[in-house]
Amino acid sequence: MTTSPARHLLASLAGIIVLAITATLVASALGPASERILTVFFISLIAVVGMGVYSGNSGILSFGHLSFMGVGAYVSGLLTLPAQMKMATLPKLPDWLAAAETGFFSAILIAVVVTSVLALIVGLALNRLEGSAATIATLGLLIITHGVIIGWRDVTRGSQSFFGVPRETTLWAAAVFCILALIAARLYRDSVSGLRLRAGRENAIAAGAVGVNIRKERLISWVLSAAIMALSGALIAHFLGAFSPKKFYFADTFLLLAMLIVGGMSTVTGAITGAVTITLVTEILRRFEGGFNLAGLEMPAVFGTTQIGIGLIILFAMFRKPDGLAGLKELEERFFPGHRVDPAQTVTAGAVKPVDPTPLQGQNLTMRFGGLVAVRDVSITVNSGEILGLIGPNGSGKTTLLNMLSGVLAPSEGTVRRGDTDLTQAKPYEVANHGIARTFQNIRLFDTLTVYQNVLIAALSTKNGERAVERCETAIQAMGISQFAGSDANTLSYGDQRRVEIARALACEPRRVEIARALACEPSLLFLDEPAAGMNREETDDLMATLQKLTGDLGLGVLIVDHDLKLINQLCDRIMVLNEGAEIAQGAPEDIRKNPAVIEAYLGHS
Amino acid sequence: MDIFLQQTVNALALGGTYALLALGLAVVFSIMGLINFAHGELMTIAGYVLMYCGIAGVSFVVAVPLALMASVIAAVLMERIAFRPVRNGSGATMLVTSFAVAMILQVLFQNLISTRSQPVLLPAMLSDSVHIAGMVIGVNKLAAIVATIVMLVFLDWFMKHQKTGIAMRAAAEDFAVARLMGIRANTVIAGAFALSGLLAGVAAVLWVSQRASVDPLMGFMPVLKAFIAAILGGLGSLRGAVAGGFLLGFIEIYLSAFLPPEMQEFREPIGLGIVVLVLLFRPNGLIPSATLKAEKV
Repeated sequence: MTTSPARHLLASLAGIIVLAITATLVASALGPASERILTVFFISLIAVVGMGVYSGNSGILSFGHLSFMGVGAYVSGLLTLPAQMKMATLPKLPDWLAAAETGFFSAILIAVVVTSVLALIVGLALNRLEGSAATIATLGLLIITHGVIIGWRDVTRGSQSFFGVPRETTLWAAAVFCILALIAARLYRDSVSGLRLRAGRENAIAAGAVGVNIRKERLISWVLSAAIMALSGALIAHFLGAFSPKKFYFADTFLLLAMLIVGGMSTVTGAITGAVTITLVTEILRRFEGGFNLAGLEMPAVFGTTQIGIGLIILFAMFRKPDGLAGLKELEERFFPGHRVDPAQTVTAGAVKPVDPTPLQGQNLTMRFGGLVAVRDVSITVNSGEILGLIGPNGSGKTTLLNMLSGVLAPSEGTVRRGDTDLTQAKPYEVANHGIARTFQNIRLFDTLTVYQNVLIAALSTKNGERAVERCETAIQAMGISQFAGSDANTLSYGDQRRVEIARALACEPRRVEIARALACEPSLLFLDEPAAGMNREETDDLMATLQKLTGDLGLGVLIVDHDLKLINQLCDRIMVLNEGAEIAQGAPEDIRKNPAVIEAYLGHS
Repeated sequence: MDIFLQQTVNALALGGTYALLALGLAVVFSIMGLINFAHGELMTIAGYVLMYCGIAGVSFVVAVPLALMASVIAAVLMERIAFRPVRNGSGATMLVTSFAVAMILQVLFQNLISTRSQPVLLPAMLSDSVHIAGMVIGVNKLAAIVATIVMLVFLDWFMKHQKTGIAMRAAAEDFAVARLMGIRANTVIAGAFALSGLLAGVAAVLWVSQRASVDPLMGFMPVLKAFIAAILGGLGSLRGAVAGGFLLGFIEIYLSAFLPPEMQEFREPIGLGIVVLVLLFRPNGLIPSATLKAEKV
């Protein structure tokens, strides 16, 4: 399934096909030289979108993707190389490989499959690393692959040229495969996996909290991107006919990365823009490289003019347009509106089924950061149908406690359980799947995604994504943010951003939304970390009304941390007070107000 | 046993060079999150200064400080011209900027100096060797080890007792708070680049003194290795960079010494394979950076 409006995808598919076919027709009309340039362009573009599928969606730059291009080229080359040729040039090949001789298309298919398997293995290892460390590890991958290709002489002819591959890549073949690759990349970007991955790129912690297992999505995109790279490699092998390991090393890595980055790596539009820009500049500069005559003035030949040109373009792009020439949106997303949600509540009131009362229990929780004890031996129970307030001075451990309950932090001591399920060591995305949703003290939205997508991710990533669209839209309606559905999250005001966050937490807890919609309710818990921070009185009251409706009518449990004591006093059934990491009081609001320990903690000794 | 000891000395010399390079990368990374691809070009610049000094007949004792000065100045200029405009960009933005800088510098070296490898005149003393405990050790190796130790001691002192060094450590922990405490961002970042330039310069002198030649791509491979050493040690951690540099040096030298001849072609992939194995068990490196866990939720 895809997560963007159908009109976006249709527009982009039509655009891709029309562009590629027009370009091919024009090049055919212009003659062999243009055909050659366009074929290489198509093959490069396949590689660029291949890199973009991983780097663009995950935000992790990869230097290692040409390894897969190389593997694709060698595997497919070995398969199509005529048997006699193999006997002459590669006498030490294993027999089964020496005898193998397949057609062009089966060779491509096999190369893609072999490369995908290899990528899966590499990806499992690479996935343990984060951010910049992962980027450098991909550099290592490039060096390792290059080393293996050079060393494995019996199969690859080492650093010598691998030649005799039939030249079967025609312009039309390149065009068709390029269209396929572009479509695959475009669809992946807006697939469930692609959307989750982009959410992880925008905010890894928030993505985990709404049920996204980022590592899994990264692995999927890694393998898909490797498969596309293999396709590009197989095509270039059968275009050139002869190549050496150098073709798949740093020089071409930088060239292709430059295309990806100059255009903008998070979109297919960007990949195309970058590939066109760099190809044009390279073709123009190449004419000047050998020296030229300008108005009678003889200019000397400058070696590497193209590299300097590309380098300067990259610098320009980074200084002026760090997100690339095409920015963060696909072209069609700029022209056509995003998702719309009807603001009218579709929820109908009806009989509420009894609530399964399994509470969440944190027992003897202690959290140490080095020598600092942030939370000391605190036990807490969050019941459904109840609003529990958690208050205390700054630094008293409220958020740390919340983080332990929601899986963001693993407690140093103590346990977190819900019924028979032990959630002490559970990852945030697992906790989210046990019916516990949360918001954050510092708003964590997926900035470059729309409000609709922000909420949809939560719905898609919990409870197997059942009826995700319904749950998403109900949550958006419940929080009254329908009018923003198609806007980017980072364009909203602070108060509205808070609402989006809560809507996302709601959608992530499908049962609550199910209560609201289908009135078939089960217990569920919502953690709100300073939801009213930065809101004015009016907004706070509005929020309070919404929260009371959710708990009163729908029976869900809320754990709320806030400094607004008026809000806490009016809203909460029970209040727990922390000071210096320990519990100092617990009880009904009126008792807490009179408690001498609480007064002392807040006001000091009198 | 003799061979083993001999190779250990070699490993210390190579690992020390990697450690210095990785440290230079780590100093900058820990403060501004930039993976500086152009670090190798700082090395190359220092190498060319040594070469020109040799041609001009300047004594090596004078040439070395000049080379170090050149790489320090180049590093500071690089920051001022290329990296300041993207300072607040993402890690990927800065990395890509640095790789464009590296590419442009490489082409400039090729055009303005030579595409080929150029010989560097070194004092004859460096190619001598001394006998210690039954081992024959090249003076250049010994000098590399001594220089590495001196630099590490200096850096430790600088980071612990110098105002700029302490400011850099503070900035590495939390740049925003450090600035609120009155530390000037420009000073700290320029200082970090100067320091990384100095480390690259020392590494270049050591590198050139083993090989007596310099070419436009001289800095590329060693800095690539230093990147790998830096993640092996723990990206952003200074002690990790040193540990990773030495470990990588040991892995490479022992493999080249003790791997059977038919496997030698796969030396590099095997060496990096070992690094990957270590990372599988310690994904945050040997000595993880302290700031890794500190993200506020």
